[in-house]
Amino acid sequence: MSSHLKSNVIPPSRQREKPRAGLTWIGQSIKRVEDPRILTGKGGYIDDVVVAGMAQAAMVSSPHAHARIVSIDTSKAKEVPGVIGVYTGADLATVVDPCPSFASPPVPQHAMAIDKVRHVGEVVAAVVAEDRYIAEDAAALVEVEWEVLPANVDIEASLEATGDAVLHPDDRKSNCALDESFAFGPVEADFAAADRVITRRLRWNRSSAQAIETCGVVAQWDAFKGGYTIHANTNFYSFIPFVIGGSLRVSPGELKMIPVLTGGSFGSKVFIHKIIILTAGLARLAGVPVKYIEDRLEHFTNSDSHGSDRLYDCELAVMEDGSFKSMRFTVLDDYGAYLQFGVGTHGNAMAQVTGPYRIGSFGMRVIAVLTNKCQQGPYRGFGSEVTNWVMERMVDAAAEELGRDPLELREQNMIQPDEFPYMIPTGNIYDSGNFQEVLGQAREMFDLDTWRAKVRAARAEGRCVGVGVATCMERSVYGPTEWWSLNNRETPGFTLTSTPEGISARIDPSGKLFVTLNSCMVGNSPETVVTQILAERLTVDPADVVINYADSQTGFNGVGPQGSRFTAMVAGACVTASIRLEEKLKRFGAHMLQRRPEDVELRGGMVAVKGLKDQEKSFAEIALTSSFFRLSFPDGEEFDSGMETTAVYDHPLSTDPHPEREHLGIFYPIVGHICHMVAVEVDPETGKVEILDYAAVHDNGTIVNPRTLGGQVWGGTANGIGTTLSEQFVYDADGQFTNPNFAEFAMPTAHEMPTNFKLGHVETPSPYTEYGIKGGGEGGRLGAPSALTSAIEDALRDRGVKIAALPVTPPILRGLIRDADAAAVAAE
Amino acid sequence: MDKVAIELTVNGRARQALVAPRVLLSDFIRQQLALPGTHVGCEHGVCGSCNVLVNGVAVRSCLMFAVQLDGAELTTVEGFGGADTLHPIQEAFWEEHGLQCGFCTPGMLAAASELLAQTPDPTEAEIREAIAGNLCRCTGYQYIIEAIRSAARKLREARVETTEPV
Amino acid sequence: MKPAAFEYHRPDDLPSALALLRAHEDASVLAGGQSLVPMMNYRLAQPDHLVDINRIDELDFIRAESAVIVIGALARHRTIQSSPLIAERLPMVAHAYEWIAHAAVRNRGTLCGNLCHADPASEMPALMQVLEAEMVLARADGTRRVPAVEFFTGTYETARAAGEMLTEVRIPTPPAGSGWGFEEVSMRKGDFAWAAVGCQLRIDNGALVDVRMAAAGVGDCALRLRGIEAALEGEPPSADLFAQAAHDAAEALDPPDTAAVSADYRRDLVRALAPRALTAAVARAE
Ligand SMILES: Cc1cc2nc3c(=O)[nH]c(=O)nc-3n(C[C@H](O)[C@H](O)[C@H](O)COP(=O)(O)OP(=O)(O)OC[C@H]3O[C@@H](n4cnc5c(N)ncnc54)[C@H](O)[C@@H]3O)c2cc1C
Ligand code: FES
Ligand code: FES
Repeated sequence: MSSHLKSNVIPPSRQREKPRAGLTWIGQSIKRVEDPRILTGKGGYIDDVVVAGMAQAAMVSSPHAHARIVSIDTSKAKEVPGVIGVYTGADLATVVDPCPSFASPPVPQHAMAIDKVRHVGEVVAAVVAEDRYIAEDAAALVEVEWEVLPANVDIEASLEATGDAVLHPDDRKSNCALDESFAFGPVEADFAAADRVITRRLRWNRSSAQAIETCGVVAQWDAFKGGYTIHANTNFYSFIPFVIGGSLRVSPGELKMIPVLTGGSFGSKVFIHKIIILTAGLARLAGVPVKYIEDRLEHFTNSDSHGSDRLYDCELAVMEDGSFKSMRFTVLDDYGAYLQFGVGTHGNAMAQVTGPYRIGSFGMRVIAVLTNKCQQGPYRGFGSEVTNWVMERMVDAAAEELGRDPLELREQNMIQPDEFPYMIPTGNIYDSGNFQEVLGQAREMFDLDTWRAKVRAARAEGRCVGVGVATCMERSVYGPTEWWSLNNRETPGFTLTSTPEGISARIDPSGKLFVTLNSCMVGNSPETVVTQILAERLTVDPADVVINYADSQTGFNGVGPQGSRFTAMVAGACVTASIRLEEKLKRFGAHMLQRRPEDVELRGGMVAVKGLKDQEKSFAEIALTSSFFRLSFPDGEEFDSGMETTAVYDHPLSTDPHPEREHLGIFYPIVGHICHMVAVEVDPETGKVEILDYAAVHDNGTIVNPRTLGGQVWGGTANGIGTTLSEQFVYDADGQFTNPNFAEFAMPTAHEMPTNFKLGHVETPSPYTEYGIKGGGEGGRLGAPSALTSAIEDALRDRGVKIAALPVTPPILRGLIRDADAAAVAAE
Repeated sequence: MDKVAIELTVNGRARQALVAPRVLLSDFIRQQLALPGTHVGCEHGVCGSCNVLVNGVAVRSCLMFAVQLDGAELTTVEGFGGADTLHPIQEAFWEEHGLQCGFCTPGMLAAASELLAQTPDPTEAEIREAIAGNLCRCTGYQYIIEAIRSAARKLREARVETTEPV
Repeated sequence: MKPAAFEYHRPDDLPSALALLRAHEDASVLAGGQSLVPMMNYRLAQPDHLVDINRIDELDFIRAESAVIVIGALARHRTIQSSPLIAERLPMVAHAYEWIAHAAVRNRGTLCGNLCHADPASEMPALMQVLEAEMVLARADGTRRVPAVEFFTGTYETARAAGEMLTEVRIPTPPAGSGWGFEEVSMRKGDFAWAAVGCQLRIDNGALVDVRMAAAGVGDCALRLRGIEAALEGEPPSADLFAQAAHDAAEALDPPDTAAVSADYRRDLVRALAPRALTAAVARAE
């Protein structure tokens, strides 16, 4: 371990429930608790929320990428029958303040533009009307006079912009929002000592999650109490009042956020604070409850959830024997017009930037660039999907330059099973793993050796068939320092270090276990996993667990489903709650059984005397007696009525970043591992890629529900296939977003998915989380792009095609083939 | 524009309504009929989450006007089965984990039910083709395909049971 | 995304429909709605009057009139795709439907609506040219027939005049022994074509005759590829011949050039797909 990491001491494990065989409920593919209501159309999504007297909002959006608003005339719109009000950014600013930002110093953003728009789709006026049809009629009548400004579309050119092309001239002289450099360990010395430096320029283009449900809000303003009641499909409902109360000019006590079932997020609905502020402000101005549901066009152009858009100049220092010494890169990231989460997506990537490999040092310069596009937000991977791909591209490049087999080179550099916990140069640790076993299983499932023979045979026939292998990390369970650790050290901003998860649990007199969650359901399975874990720990029947959701005023700060953290974190809260309930049940039960608490145990929903049959009291009996028959128990506080507890679980293992950022501390330590192997055939004349075979093996520690985890892997892999082959936001030179619709932004359908996908699991438990659970919500998208890119490059090896940018849509791939063919002809 | 009176059958029940001609069937179902199970994901005909059955045929409800339903028979997800009376296709989706966020599910159920009515024992390719017009961002489709295969089995078995002499 | 208001008409027979179209200059026919309603939801189309033809049963037919297949304005994609008559007499049409949209869209969408919409990336306008179909345009005071090659005049533009309805398409059955080929590349199966080619030909004494070929996605409307036809006519089929003819045809095209799909790429697709379609057609010809 390099000396710069000496100060980063790994805290002791707080694990209480050891991973073990023979569990009853953990590890079962039970049917999901959430499903019956969803399957019957009664899920309760945001657009299903109806409140009395509710009006609908429609937006007037900017057609320009960059323009000054000279004037807005709302008079015609106001005359439309059924319109309640028409409001501009200036009107909104009378009741709300600018949006919160994690960037430090922040890039100011208003929920509705004032004076200037900075991307196509930015809202400049809103209509509140009896229904959405009328609201859109009126929105079409709002007249805006524009003074068009130069649009910044290209990431490098935007850095050079001056004058009117600068997006935020009052705050920044240029479009560079942040430029920070880091060296984790002896980067310079390692590069100087290296035999070779592999260099690549790599480009990851913009796309986004595009959940099938868009974002939406229903906001009510109570003029008497001076507060808001807000339904929204944010993932973060119990946390967000604290963050947006300032913008709404109310205290969290005057702001009640009510969760709804969310129709998919993949990160895209983590905050959605802009439209919450916008809709709330409209409700206050209009004096009626307002519903605003983004339409698909608005979700594409204005939802603050665009994914990473990066240009890397990357170097890998290697020795002739193939061992990796160091890596460094300069990365430019096109964040769009604002910077809501700062460079948190790069902080995130620091969790596993060196991949599963032994690399002694790592250096980075990160430059956040502002352009005239909608700003970035999270998308499955939160930036780590990109560095996974960069790492794997570099390894493939090294294999090629060293004349080595890419798989062998990976194996040579992989961290060994006895090296865990393993600290990488940035300071994060990998808690546990067995990369070799994952690789071995993938190799077997995929039958790599046979595939390699098939590839040789196909090549001999002139076909472009290839295989690709990716061995990647899947960090899970974040600590929040990733959001600010890369910020300028003098102004790091709000240096948050807690992101807990909590539940409250109560055994009611009927014996049911009532559980309240503080995090919403976004397609993950919070009710199912909580049910399984509590059933396991308390020996109750899953059918006796009843799940509810707190609102923001009745629950504790939950963080919710993001960063593949919910299952592992809520397991901690469930264990805490179980320990407390167990203790209580035993105390009351023992009294009823006339035994000492040490002599009883939990057994099948009963408190039972150890070693004795038939000496038991059911939880129902105990709860009933403890709730209704106080006088049956001794007169002490410990026998007060009720069987309930609130349990909060903090991050199990994190440390502070080094004050000088020699390392970033431990912040994302529960680390899974994945291996994807894929075979493809490329039609060189059309650039079409066909997936012939696919195997994915994931190690996410102890699995709570294999089927729900399998679904996450499948879904993430589908996202990764889209990212690689078909999904890209395409802008023209004026900053017009040319394909903001489902017809042209091509997400995979059932036809595009491999037909013979093989899924495997290795279970290396975490030594730090309860039962050894790790997160697993992002892995597919963290591995698929790398494996597919390698396979495509392999298929086109004989033609000399190199893939340095994603996506490779058929037109793009055909262009690469055409250029390579032309270069080959020229070379002859 | 004047509202038009229509009569239709909704999930087996006769209903009457007054609708403005421009009201999309999807909005009519969700708002006027207060049946929120039909979801709206794109309003340009691509995602399929708004699929419903009109006279037994799967259609995009965002690409029809409610006035066109005069005299028609409409089946939405609410007509498939309730919590205690799940339809075999719903059962299969539950057992096979054919949903995550569930937003695409009602449309998938409509597509699946049309397929299985016409093709009781579909091949995997036929299942893929039947749901290719329904985008799901969560599942990667695999468990949906498995659910439809299992639903086909359930429905075939149910048919055998009811036709066999007792 | 909600449509603007309009007046709704639902005639029960063709004369009433045609009368309505005459009375309202700016009326749009509402057939399957699978192209019109998305445009209306985006407010790219804002007709004041909609004439819904879905209750005009007399327009819902597919029939054979000796050597011509006649398809009425209400025949839906799905019905055509699964019609035994089409499978037997116009197998290329049945086959190409696999590339056109998805089940629920095909359940509503009509061939005639598809042709009137005239999307340059739409497959059927190209196939109608290969098959030398005729469009029957009716108006309140008469009908006229327009050959497919003259019907498509530009992006979303046809020879149909205001007040006219396309009541049927008349498609000659290919002569006995004909072979056909159809090839397409789009991003996903069911998407509009980046390029699609269809062809029909016969082989007479070892030579290609009656070669007809057309393409979608490579111009501002579907195009007959006359250059390829001329280059092949009377020649014995060969891979080199097909490749050269496809190359020359591609060079002569001026396809749409967009940020996502370049003109060069679309030309490449013609180079790739035309020979494949021709090869398939030769294999099918007797
Ligand atoms: C998701 C999706 C994918 C699709 N993919 C494809 C594809 O791959 N290839 C493809 O070709 N198409 C595709 N389509 C379009 C589809 O084929 C439409 O059905 C077709 O283009 C229009 O037919 P329609 O009957 O629905 O016409 P409508 O939408 O009702 O009408 C279209 C236009 O034609 C006019 N019109 C309709 N009928 C007549 C008539 N008889 N006389 C005069 N004017 C008339 C209308 O006024 C309107 O202007 C797709 C559609 C969707 C929603
Ligand atoms: S909402 Fe109808 S297809 Fe997407
Ligand atoms: S389950 Fe979420 S979109 Fe299909």
